Amino acid sequence: MAPRHLVLVGLSHHTAPLAVRERLAFSSEQMPERLRALVSRAGLQEAMLVSTCNRVEMYGSAADPQEATRGIRDYFAEVAEEQNLAAHLYEHTGDAVARHAFRVASSLDSLVVGEPQILGQVKEAFSLATEAGTVGSLLGRCMNRAFAVAKRVRNETGIAAGAVSVSSIACDLARSIFGELTGRRVVLVGAGEMSEAAAKALAQNGTLLTVVNRNQERARAVAEACGGEAREFDQLSQELIAADVVITSTASPRYVITRELMQGVIRARRHRPLFLIDIAVPRDVDPRVENLDNVFLFDLDDLEQVASQNIAARKREAEQAERIVEAEVQAFEEWQRTLDLTPTLVALRERVRTVIHGELERTLPRLKSVSEAERKALEIMCDAMVNKLLHRPMTELKRTSSDPNGSQLVESVRRLFELEIRHAAGPEPGPELEPAPANVLVRTGNPSGESP
Amino acid sequence: MSGALSLLFVATSCAYSMASLGYFLFIGNGSENAAKWAARLLLVGAGCQLAFMLGDTYGVPQFEDVRQMFTLASLAIVVGLLLAQRVGRLSVLGAFVTPVALLMFLAAGLGHSVPNVPEDVRSALLPAHVVVNVLGVAAFTLAFAVAAAYLIQERLLRRRQLGGLFHRLPPLDVLDSLGLKLLLVGFPLFTLGSVSGAIWAAQLPTRISPNQALGLVAWCVFAGVLLLRVAAGWQGRRAAIGTLLGFACALAVVIGYALRVKSGAF
Repeated sequence: MAPRHLVLVGLSHHTAPLAVRERLAFSSEQMPERLRALVSRAGLQEAMLVSTCNRVEMYGSAADPQEATRGIRDYFAEVAEEQNLAAHLYEHTGDAVARHAFRVASSLDSLVVGEPQILGQVKEAFSLATEAGTVGSLLGRCMNRAFAVAKRVRNETGIAAGAVSVSSIACDLARSIFGELTGRRVVLVGAGEMSEAAAKALAQNGTLLTVVNRNQERARAVAEACGGEAREFDQLSQELIAADVVITSTASPRYVITRELMQGVIRARRHRPLFLIDIAVPRDVDPRVENLDNVFLFDLDDLEQVASQNIAARKREAEQAERIVEAEVQAFEEWQRTLDLTPTLVALRERVRTVIHGELERTLPRLKSVSEAERKALEIMCDAMVNKLLHRPMTELKRTSSDPNGSQLVESVRRLFELEIRHAAGPEPGPELEPAPANVLVRTGNPSGESP
Repeated sequence: MSGALSLLFVATSCAYSMASLGYFLFIGNGSENAAKWAARLLLVGAGCQLAFMLGDTYGVPQFEDVRQMFTLASLAIVVGLLLAQRVGRLSVLGAFVTPVALLMFLAAGLGHSVPNVPEDVRSALLPAHVVVNVLGVAAFTLAFAVAAAYLIQERLLRRRQLGGLFHRLPPLDVLDSLGLKLLLVGFPLFTLGSVSGAIWAAQLPTRISPNQALGLVAWCVFAGVLLLRVAAGWQGRRAAIGTLLGFACALAVVIGYALRVKSGAF
């Protein structure tokens, strides 16, 4: 059987607009059935499908990579019902697949570089493919390496440092002012989507939430969604006195929190620090409030500035991450060459052993009175001959396996000894397969990252 | 100074210098390893300093020796810093405090020209006066470091410079409450030191000295800061600036003693 090659066909936010990506999205329920269908029709021996809102990618292995990629392309075109889908698709074969998988899992290919969700999504896709029985030793090894590379990148670089979404920046800044957030009071003034997301993120850190809104129905709905309490708008001053963090996002054309209001509030608060996040346009908080002692005001421009600084820092770290990925791709290439070599070594030993033992079997009947003990001694001698004869060639084959030209020597040996190579066929989970964490979903919501 | 004592003096100075460098590296580029090594060097330096002090005093401290008391203050500051680092992630304070401790130790070691407290002004109150003042100075030095860190962190936050240094400094609220605790420890000690000093000074024929006046100013500043914090709810920037001001006065008093600006300052 011919050796297997890794293949990949996919599209992502780099190559396709959302209108195309959404037509090709697969749900996790569809996954096992789709994978098995693809394996049967595209000549794939292994298959795994990663489907997030920023990418749809089919990883697999096949003896004939051209036929496999063609089959996947056709399948994608059928699902998307899009004639020009090929213009948005990219393809990789061999080591380029490993490189791409390592980069994707390490979040180097994500819309927001360093976002953490993609690793969980790839792990979940891998888990679903394993359950569907479409992952074997080659793809399994590749994806397990991808997970290890992602972990290494995260540990050895600062690619995930620094928040880049409004929610996470709000949490980070609140922590830099108050330290532990548990028990801190968060007041949401107005109830926009972005402020609700920030309030939810803060609530996850153990804060106590109050929603102040002119529309009480909306206030109650948001409070319920975030696990907080609703208050009338005329209670704003009292809530500001009790608050530690205030997030404003009303549609008011005038300042809701004026300098004069805050001066009174600060006195009543006995100068306790207050963190104001104003994400309304036009602004809700008078910018002069920032000049008051112990009041820290961040508006949308400030938040964007923080996000830009952090994104720039992540890009610098990404250069270091790319070097890690490249080193790991080389290690994977070497492993693959060793994988190609193993069947040759097995076949060579079998070939020589068969010849020598065959000669022994032919010779033994001609000898008279050979005892069982003598027969065993001759067999041991034959095995020793096989070992001694093959020691040097095998050592040399193993030594050159890490050499890019080593495959020529392997090919020569195969031709000289007329070796028929058998590769492991079909999907069979390798010993290193790791189950994905059960709490990670393939298609989860994340405004700042890769998913859903 | 004997050969062994000289060796201990050099070892202590080197350990504190390298620890300062480590803390600067940590504050500059965030090297966690530098902070770890700095803490270890600080511990080694404290050990060397203790051995130096025991060797220098033969195990019996002489409270009338200004040089020995400076060394004791330096050790108290280092021990306070080591304790603070065990309590929380406060490695960054090392960059502020270690150089102060080093300077005090060097000033003490090289301060042969500073004469001891004259025989005629010594009294039974002297040991108590010196010890509480030394411990008070140590607490105020740490409070100074915390206040300085607060002002830097607040400035970074207001200027939106939220890079590496910002992430290495502790949260504002943590710094503020730690500053208050250190003042609450340091102020009673400083008060006892001032009262014992006043009783002692009353027995002397000399009039009030500039040092004593400055000591009184420092006490008033710290008392004012504490009063405003407790009674008026002062927090954050103003409290930090008040602490720095009080520390500057306290430092001036200590330097005044060391330099013995005029005879009869005691």
